[in-house]
Amino acid sequence: MERIKTGISGLDEMLAGGFFPRSANLVEGAPGTGKTTLGMQFIYNGIVKYGEPGIIITFEQFPEQYYRDAAHFGWDFKKFEEEGLLKVFMTSPEVSRLDLENIDGIIEQAVEEMGAKRILIDSISHFERLTKDPNELRSIEYAFINSLKRLGLTSILTRESAVLLGGETDTYGLSYVVDSYILLRYVEMESRIYKALLVLKLRGSDHAKDIRRFEITDQGIEILERFEGREGIMSGSPRRMAESFIEAFVRR
Amino acid sequence: MKVDELTSQLMEEIEPDLLDFIRTKVTSFIKWDLIRFLCKNPNTADTAERLARFAGRSPDAVRPELEEMVQQGLLEVRIIAGIPVYSLSRDKKMRMMVEKFIKACEDRQFRVKVVYHIMRNLAETKEGS
Repeated sequence: MERIKTGISGLDEMLAGGFFPRSANLVEGAPGTGKTTLGMQFIYNGIVKYGEPGIIITFEQFPEQYYRDAAHFGWDFKKFEEEGLLKVFMTSPEVSRLDLENIDGIIEQAVEEMGAKRILIDSISHFERLTKDPNELRSIEYAFINSLKRLGLTSILTRESAVLLGGETDTYGLSYVVDSYILLRYVEMESRIYKALLVLKLRGSDHAKDIRRFEITDQGIEILERFEGREGIMSGSPRRMAESFIEAFVRR
Repeated sequence: MKVDELTSQLMEEIEPDLLDFIRTKVTSFIKWDLIRFLCKNPNTADTAERLARFAGRSPDAVRPELEEMVQQGLLEVRIIAGIPVYSLSRDKKMRMMVEKFIKACEDRQFRVKVVYHIMRNLAETKEGS
């Protein structure tokens, strides 16, 4: 089956080849874990490696910050915009939602003009401002995601998690609506902070179940080896397997 | 030399197309802020309230300026579900002119001239009313 590759070495293997076309893919993590970098790399690789133009919709961060951050990795987003391969839209959740519901809206026009195939929504957390009712929120997000699919787009939706280490995952339903769910976490080990990535869900496909270490290098995200001999990685404070064995059996 | 004469002399040193752009489009500091923001973030499409927040101004002050900018062809407005959504004009000539103006603003002397022009314009508007 056709896959939309992220082009991030290691991540596509974890996703058994990549995302499905026209799928919505949630990337969740605490501030600084690399959600936006992962999303920008997905867009950049789409343009450079796979000939697929992309769109970024930002609700808070100014587009000029994306140009600057991308330039840090050697990705010339300004040039891509001039060449019609990328558009970085700044708008609000209300406007983007209503615009997508309309026929021939600003986003739809851009998708058609550019032949865009990929989109980064940074971040879907801003939709939480639209309503306090979790059921209504799920309905709004479901409709928004479907409108992206209707336009033929494969999307990455970033979502902020409130806590730095560990923390609870989705409780109100977005993870049920999306096609894949990737968690980025800080992990503390021996007085050092590492970053961990886990593919929690990939609808309709097998995927890697292991938790991988990753780094943000000057080339972007690089997936490294799995965490060996530890457990409780996603809690943020893992323990060695032997310690947990002793705790569970010997100290009883 | 009177202030008005000095200002006129300073403005005459500016390229004619830029001078026309300043005289007809950059008639207030709020407009200048909005032009700068939209030039740096050219695919912004948002409400008056949000644009005001980005520019650090009050929505009440920004709303009439946005309407004027639409009439002047600098901005486009779309009504989405009853909400006016503003974005920079897609007209290539207008976008080039906006970029030329913002590029020229990197020069301090040029900025000083624009400040003189806006202040004189604001004073004339005040006298007129």
